[in-house]
Amino acid sequence: MSIFITYGALITPLGNTTVENFNRMLKGDSGVSIIKDSGFNNEDWPLGMIKSIQDENRYNKLLSDLCHQLIKEHGKGLFEDEKTLVVVSSTKADINALPNDTFASTRKILNDQLGLKNKIIIISNACISGVLAINTAVDYLHTDKYDNVVVIGIDALSDFIVYGFQSLFALSNEPSKPFDKERKGICIGEAAGCVIVSKKRLNDSYAVNYLGGSSSNDANHISGPSRTGEGLFRSINKTLERSKVGKAEIDFISAHGTGTNYNDEMESIAFDRLGLNEVPLNSLKGYFGHTLGAAGVIEVISSMKMMEHNIVLKSIGFEEQGTSKRINVLKANLEQPTNIILKTASGFGGGNASLILKSVL
Amino acid sequence: MKLVASCKISNQGVFLNSKLVPNTKSTETNWKKELYTKTGVTYPKFYKMDALAKLAFLSYSYLDKALKTESYADNDIALLFANAASSKTTDLKYIESYKEKGSPSPSLFVYTLPNILTGELSILNKWYGENVFFIEEKFDPEFYLEQINFYFSKGAKGVLAGWVESNDTNEECFLFFVENNGNELTIEELTNLYKS
Repeated sequence: MSIFITYGALITPLGNTTVENFNRMLKGDSGVSIIKDSGFNNEDWPLGMIKSIQDENRYNKLLSDLCHQLIKEHGKGLFEDEKTLVVVSSTKADINALPNDTFASTRKILNDQLGLKNKIIIISNACISGVLAINTAVDYLHTDKYDNVVVIGIDALSDFIVYGFQSLFALSNEPSKPFDKERKGICIGEAAGCVIVSKKRLNDSYAVNYLGGSSSNDANHISGPSRTGEGLFRSINKTLERSKVGKAEIDFISAHGTGTNYNDEMESIAFDRLGLNEVPLNSLKGYFGHTLGAAGVIEVISSMKMMEHNIVLKSIGFEEQGTSKRINVLKANLEQPTNIILKTASGFGGGNASLILKSVL
Repeated sequence: MKLVASCKISNQGVFLNSKLVPNTKSTETNWKKELYTKTGVTYPKFYKMDALAKLAFLSYSYLDKALKTESYADNDIALLFANAASSKTTDLKYIESYKEKGSPSPSLFVYTLPNILTGELSILNKWYGENVFFIEEKFDPEFYLEQINFYFSKGAKGVLAGWVESNDTNEECFLFFVENNGNELTIEELTNLYKS
């Protein structure tokens, strides 16, 4: 069975629609900016903040805005259909609701605004949540129950998250530089993105086929990446096998690339072990910041735009090789046929996930 | 899918395959530490774990006695976990660290993700298989059976599934291990195992 993925909606620090985002990415714009007093000791951290959100509850506003955009683009019928399922990827959801249920507003907003008929499926698996959510959507389409699965990836900025990464000394005091020699760490961001995963091509807008995906644990450390890239290596191998795609067929890798020393080094080791050194690669964290549970979904949307336009965008912040294994991180946009792409993600808990997409010609 | 074994733990005791393990009921608030000494297992990492990871570790320590996981390749066992409250207990402690105790605690922050416990179980067993953590409103046996079948259809040979909850009123962990052969585990059977 062929599985199709189409654009749902996208709201990031760079723009409020998929098209607006991609136009700014083509120009090399970054949504990361200095946010005054954002640190625990009032440091001014660079963050990927959506400036148009003024509400006290950033998460609920972001989710609600995404719903508006989804209805505007697709109508309500798709969401009210009995054969439509929604899968949400979020690490912390409405964290400020504590001590009440942090995921209650997710269910309420989606049910109220989209008129859903089925139970909402929520994945909270650190930074690989978005890729796992797309893989899970495909699992559901292999049953008779659903025709379309709406995958939403979302996380909002919060003191909780910024202070936490600050306490781990994982934040960069300048815009992040994934894979670069001078990289200093992560810039946290916020975003909401949506793709629609379907058994049939949903409409006449651009679509890709999902060829396969998988996950694998490092079995090594709960917050540090494996020194051998074991989990990522295994996940990519499994995904290649399931997709029936050869390594030489991959035109582009949308890597995780957080900008921390250990993560980016680990990824380079895994790609080197797989012999993927020459494949054009980027990290999109320089455009949006690291948006945690949203990352996998918004990076798939951006990658689909690149496939649609046969261009691979540069990895913002990358100037000089900064990993022990050489990989082909792009310093400039590259126009080339981009038919088959590999998307990867890695995160706390030792999780790694990947998937492969192919352009529908 | 065939049920190999199940284990449910709470302060009401350890129920291995629905049978109460003698002397495991406790009235102590610190019942998890008490239970750790009773397992006879030495695993110093236990003391660093948060409530969710401790619950999963303890329950697995008992379940492990009823499993023969050595026969599986290290890629073949998938982990399927869910709860309702995410990492609430640790989230609140971590917030307390920066709101009341002077500075954000990195050791608490790393546990403010529910899936950390799947990492702990993977490290303990050297399992490199697939992992996922869902947030569900309540234990839904139908959901588990569906997800387990997804894993089997993708090649997993065994699935360790679990419901691990730590909130203001309740601490419990229900684990069960299934293999991809034999009689179908039914929704009713799974519901009863969870209620034990």
